[in-house]
Amino acid sequence: MSRVSKPHRQGGAAHVLLIPWWLGLVLVTAVPLVASLYLAFTDYDILSAPEFNGLENFHRMFQDEYFWAAVKVTVIYVLVSIPLQLGFALLLALILDRGLRGLAFYRSAFYLPSLLGTSVAVAILWRQIFGDDGLIDRALSVFGLELGSWLQNPSLSLSTLIVLNVWTFGSPMVIFLAGLRQIPEELYEAAKVDGAGIVRQFTRVTIPLLTPIIFFNLILQTIGAFQTFTQAHVVSGGTGGPANSTLFYTLYIYQQGFTNFDMGYASALAWVLMIAIGLVTAVHFVLSKYWVFYGDD
Amino acid sequence: MSGLDRRGFLKLAAAGALGAGLTACGGSEGGAGGVSLRYAWWGNNIRQQNYMKALKEFTAQNQGIQIEPEFAEYSAFQERMTTQMAARDVADIFWIASPQVLTYHKSKLYRRLDDIPTLDLSAYSKADLDSFKLSGELNTMPFGIFVPVIRYNETWAKEDDVELPATDTDWDAWAAFLIDYSRNNPGKRKGMAYEADADLPFESWLRQRGEQLWTEDGRTGFTVDSTRAWFDWWDKLLKAGAVLTLSEQEGMSPDWALVGKKVLAKVGNSNHIIDDAKMFPEQRFKLRPMPVAAGAQAGHPFLYFPRMAIYQGIDDEKLQAAGKVVNYNTNNVAMLKTVGLTMGAPVNPKVFEQSKEFAGQDEKEMLAVVQAAREAERKPRFEAPPGTNTWRTAMARVAEEISLGRVSTADGSKRFLDEVQAGIERTRK
Repeated sequence: MSRVSKPHRQGGAAHVLLIPWWLGLVLVTAVPLVASLYLAFTDYDILSAPEFNGLENFHRMFQDEYFWAAVKVTVIYVLVSIPLQLGFALLLALILDRGLRGLAFYRSAFYLPSLLGTSVAVAILWRQIFGDDGLIDRALSVFGLELGSWLQNPSLSLSTLIVLNVWTFGSPMVIFLAGLRQIPEELYEAAKVDGAGIVRQFTRVTIPLLTPIIFFNLILQTIGAFQTFTQAHVVSGGTGGPANSTLFYTLYIYQQGFTNFDMGYASALAWVLMIAIGLVTAVHFVLSKYWVFYGDD
Repeated sequence: MSGLDRRGFLKLAAAGALGAGLTACGGSEGGAGGVSLRYAWWGNNIRQQNYMKALKEFTAQNQGIQIEPEFAEYSAFQERMTTQMAARDVADIFWIASPQVLTYHKSKLYRRLDDIPTLDLSAYSKADLDSFKLSGELNTMPFGIFVPVIRYNETWAKEDDVELPATDTDWDAWAAFLIDYSRNNPGKRKGMAYEADADLPFESWLRQRGEQLWTEDGRTGFTVDSTRAWFDWWDKLLKAGAVLTLSEQEGMSPDWALVGKKVLAKVGNSNHIIDDAKMFPEQRFKLRPMPVAAGAQAGHPFLYFPRMAIYQGIDDEKLQAAGKVVNYNTNNVAMLKTVGLTMGAPVNPKVFEQSKEFAGQDEKEMLAVVQAAREAERKPRFEAPPGTNTWRTAMARVAEEISLGRVSTADGSKRFLDEVQAGIERTRK
């Protein structure tokens, strides 16, 4: 007769099966995280041993014009693209929620750009659309407007990446759709009885009951937007141009770390980003008390 | 847990680990007791295929030597090298990107090459070998020669009935020709692409003015004034409509497949004709030397060498095989027949002559301009010092901002020089 009970044995097996996950967490996430924290306070060119330099990397940031350019680009992108993307995703979710025939097809079709949004194919597509003599340029030339390549115009290039982000609305849309399905039909019926029209039903029933989902999407998409890298890398060819107009923060970290071999400074930049994301998320949570309604409120 | 109890699971895991361990043992050794060498290079898909084929031919002729290819596109190659260097896991034989030659040297990545019997250096003169050395040591091997050139579309020049200035024309006369061509050609083509960040042509500009890109002691060898004059020259062309705008060429470092349809000529490296001409098979391209400034300094022509090296940390038992591979790359015409001359004219004088026999018309064009530069009087040229690996990015950024009217040529030139010098100083600290 075994001295170890069955649940205990199963627990042991579970721990063994979790070893790969633990190894991944420790080796691929925790150790690099701690190492990068140390490197943020060093001068480290990858090729020679890191040398402790205190807060120099952080002081340098304040005098670095590219750092400020990257901050500006990223903040504008977050502030503009997230509301647009979530608004568009919600709009589409509302349309699809109206019992459309072929819903599964539309859901998949609308989700597709989320999968393609960071691929090299998109860079080619975007050049065809926004490039010199591209689709947009030709369409505008009919009205006598000739803006040339949007991708090479510092005033317009960021907007093309915002459009790209809005276009990848599939992921929040699917979550909104799931949230809409959870709203009890009786609430709409009661609102109708009370004389509420479509707009009033939307503002008084749909939006309040959807606020936890909106909050969830807002947090996820905001964090994702702060970390935007591939789209900018692919569309600008990794330069962040023209004239730093698409120099996203993570692209700048990458340039410093892997092109400039300035891994100490890149680590400091990465930690500043992490702290900034943490603060923004914390603010979101604090503010959520005032506008997010849970079922038990 | 059904079907597999804990003991069974642990046995399975142990067996798996043992198997993995056994597989790993001798992983770097070639089959049948030979050696396996990692060979890292960069390029496009065509170059990848050609080199794969050549390396396969090499291994077929050299039983016991296996080659593990490590290929990547140019930027990705450098990034991979960076991480491999950090991990001290560099390929046994590797190509060296031009801005990294002295950075890798400082990091002691190169093994000396003049004591490897399988690498034959007898075809090179002492002067040649001295010019290959870094800090007095032969530790990298050039395997091609590039020179700065102007490439032009001869077919269009004939169609448009234009006569190009003489090959010894100066920069102003060349600019005047481009402006005139852009205004009057029936195809509404531009004279050239906007390439104020082209490195070898810029170096040619500096050397003609008695300056140089880098000094022997690892500093910048150029002034704000010369740089400003360079940007001014391009700016004048841009404002006169003689070069493409950034919008028309979709950014700095334009794609030749796109701009090749829009321009008569371009500045660049001599070797690029080989791949670029293939994109427009109906057209005939020719090379001509860069314009020469009035009163240009003697010895201003120069040769640029792409280099390869053997990793300092290579195992002793692999060294002779690595020497053979480098020898095959640098001294064997058979390899060049397979890979072509996309990496420039052969450095080995014998192989240079042999390559004329199989060279196509574009390759012959390239060999001719390199031959002329090789025969010219040349002052020494020094490689980019540590800390300057992003100098070309900095230059492209400034050129871009000047073309967009966001910075003056004077301020842009100063900023560019300051940025490059700051990089050098950071490394020297």
